[in-house]
Amino acid sequence: MTVTKLHAAGRPVSITPLVTFRIVFGWLMFFSILRFWWRGWVTTVYIQPEFHFTYWGFEWVQPLGSIDMHVLFACIALSALCIAIGLWYRVAAIVFFLSFTYVELIDLTTYLNHYYFISLVAFLLIWLPANRHYSVDVWRRPQLRRTEVPAWTIGILRFQMAVVYIFAGIAKLDADWLLHAEPMRTWLPSKSHLPIIGKYMYATWVAYLFSWFGAVYDLFIVFFLLNKRTRLVAYGFVLIFHIATAIFFPGIGMFPYVMIAASLIFFSGQFHERLLSHLPFYKSMAQAPVKQSAYQFRWSRPMMLAVTLYVLAQLLIPMRFLAYPDRLFWTEEGYRFSWRVMLMEKSGAAYFTVKDSTARYGYAVNNSEFLTPLQEKMMSTQPDMILKYAHHLAREYKKRGVQHPEVYGEIYVSLNGERSRLFIDSSVNLAQQQQGWQHYNWILPYKLPVTEQK
Amino acid sequence: MNRKLFRTGIVGAALAAVVLYACSKGGDGDGSGAANNDAFKTEMLTNYADNIITPAYTNLQAKLGLLETSVNAFLATPSTGTQATLKTAFKDAWLGFENVSAAYFGPGAAVLLNSYINTWPAVPAKIEAGIQSGTYNFTIPVASDSIQGFPTLDYLLFSADAVQKFADAGAANRRKYVQDVVTRIKSLVDNTLNQWKGAYRTTFVSSLKTDVGSSIGALINQFAFEMDALKGPRIGWPFGKQSNGIVFADKCEGYYAGFSADLAIANLTSLKNYFKGGAGKGIDDYLILLKKDKLNSDVLAQFDVALNALKAIPAPLSASFTNNATLVEAAYKEVQKLLTLIKTDVASATAVQITYMDNDGD
Repeated sequence: MTVTKLHAAGRPVSITPLVTFRIVFGWLMFFSILRFWWRGWVTTVYIQPEFHFTYWGFEWVQPLGSIDMHVLFACIALSALCIAIGLWYRVAAIVFFLSFTYVELIDLTTYLNHYYFISLVAFLLIWLPANRHYSVDVWRRPQLRRTEVPAWTIGILRFQMAVVYIFAGIAKLDADWLLHAEPMRTWLPSKSHLPIIGKYMYATWVAYLFSWFGAVYDLFIVFFLLNKRTRLVAYGFVLIFHIATAIFFPGIGMFPYVMIAASLIFFSGQFHERLLSHLPFYKSMAQAPVKQSAYQFRWSRPMMLAVTLYVLAQLLIPMRFLAYPDRLFWTEEGYRFSWRVMLMEKSGAAYFTVKDSTARYGYAVNNSEFLTPLQEKMMSTQPDMILKYAHHLAREYKKRGVQHPEVYGEIYVSLNGERSRLFIDSSVNLAQQQQGWQHYNWILPYKLPVTEQK
Repeated sequence: MNRKLFRTGIVGAALAAVVLYACSKGGDGDGSGAANNDAFKTEMLTNYADNIITPAYTNLQAKLGLLETSVNAFLATPSTGTQATLKTAFKDAWLGFENVSAAYFGPGAAVLLNSYINTWPAVPAKIEAGIQSGTYNFTIPVASDSIQGFPTLDYLLFSADAVQKFADAGAANRRKYVQDVVTRIKSLVDNTLNQWKGAYRTTFVSSLKTDVGSSIGALINQFAFEMDALKGPRIGWPFGKQSNGIVFADKCEGYYAGFSADLAIANLTSLKNYFKGGAGKGIDDYLILLKKDKLNSDVLAQFDVALNALKAIPAPLSASFTNNATLVEAAYKEVQKLLTLIKTDVASATAVQITYMDNDGD
């Protein structure tokens, strides 16, 4: 990065985009958490399961008891509310980031890209001066108020959005997505109940239209949002695209709303000024005199270094799949944290047998004894979860008196409308296999189907 | 910024949002007629409701009436003769249940029909305790599952010295227990059938989605569930699959009356019939509509392979677990292949969901 660019990154710009972002993000998170709680998912996802698929290296992250878990969710909701109104902002952002991330780290089953996005944004918000205008903090201590912030504080959020969209777009440059219109071709016929458009859902061309539109949208929307002249129309597309996603795929949850809200960050300071001016007390707060207009970071050089490292990490993490052999969709090594959303239809059937090394027969495992239906579904197609489960089975059966438990999995997986076939080597004792970042040799190689079987 | 562009943009986007949102809300099939956008799915579901599920419950209801008559005849004069007559009626009724087992959603699931009337093995110790004390409660989910239903009748009416026990001093309690179990089965089935004949039919027929709780979702998930029960509790578990090869013959469905294999075959035959939608539109036609002809023919073929493998096991199944282990093992494998096809290929092709949880695409 050149000196002039560094200088440009530090130039003061209006704080208002950051303020809107803080408010919208806070309220959205507040309602998301309430929704999660209201649907009873705190209990079904974090309390009922007896076993959790922890993240590698984060095995110490375990769910709390029923009451404590609900208290934790209350903490998340409250801190989100504090972020929204800008009360004890930095503490609230830290609490939100830590508690939300803790909850997400409990179980791989519920990994969603937008939860990862929320954790990242929450982390960024800790460092950003989003409470320095139109907040309870400023109302209580007016000397905190600033009207301008270094440009990079808004730039980093735009960069984060760009990462989400562009990597999601690149991920769609795949033969299944573009040439076979999968998984859209599989998913759309199940949407024939929709009025007006329902009857077109069986048509192949509609699946192609959805696929290509989605890819083009993801790849280019950021550039149109960045350009002042196209921004409004682009935001119209953001609304249409994400609301359509919410209608067609309600299972995607909060993701569309998060993107609709977060995309506001691309609008100019003047736009946000006008938007915020409709809010109560804004005008009186905005008219108060400021002691110092521009916010300055005390350690601006280390900050720039940290930002550079963050940017590099965001660019590299989604590319790590390149370090693994075979087809990403099949092995899923390097799949998470890479903005791959709604990319594939994958389902599996997993039959495990635990055997004592000396015994002739074994114990066929009843998965529902250990896993919830959601956990079982997710485990059946994801190798790292298969391995974690196999290790868990070895431990459980040892308790039941199997002295040297060997765990074998006969697992069948169907990917993007292809016929199911064996996923892992059934003769490998999974109890002996190590977890790690290396490629798992026991995953059977992905082979293109010999004949186009449908 | 151009103010006019600004207004047009916002108004246009808001309008699009409202229209799309309205569409999504209108999509919840409520049977108003306007929601029926998919003639095929509606026809298929109507076929399931009117030609398969409701007739199956009606048939079961009739068979239970005959069973009650035979049970009363047996209880009036317990003998090996009346017991033999009773066995025919009992078998007919239980076989009749296998035809509704796959419809375990909606009304059936609401009254916990399958759990209450067909959880096996029954627990004789708990049943005998109930008979002795004369106090028992059939309405406690899970806890009372194994002291009622067909498996309990199987034990009470057909275990080794069953006839003898009805002649004993405490026989009055035993007779009452049997009658209570029969009454309980009948009332649960009546209740379920009445709901199918009433409002639920419309709910079922107009639910065109594939998420959890939708009709198509329920049908396919229940296929997988039944196939799993065939592989596990009906065959695999008594066969020793969960117990390091140690056979627990008395854990199979219909152990005392000795027609376990018939029940298993009836169950799978019924599943095939469900899959085909009988003579009308079924999941098979849906797969063809989705251009999955090969998958459909493979599933149908595998149904036959699995059925033939089951039929090849000599009766009684409980004895074959030890005497014809190879044949049982073969049937187990074929059922698993069928289960795999349903759980992966068919579930994927039809895009059915198994939970309500948020999911950003596998």
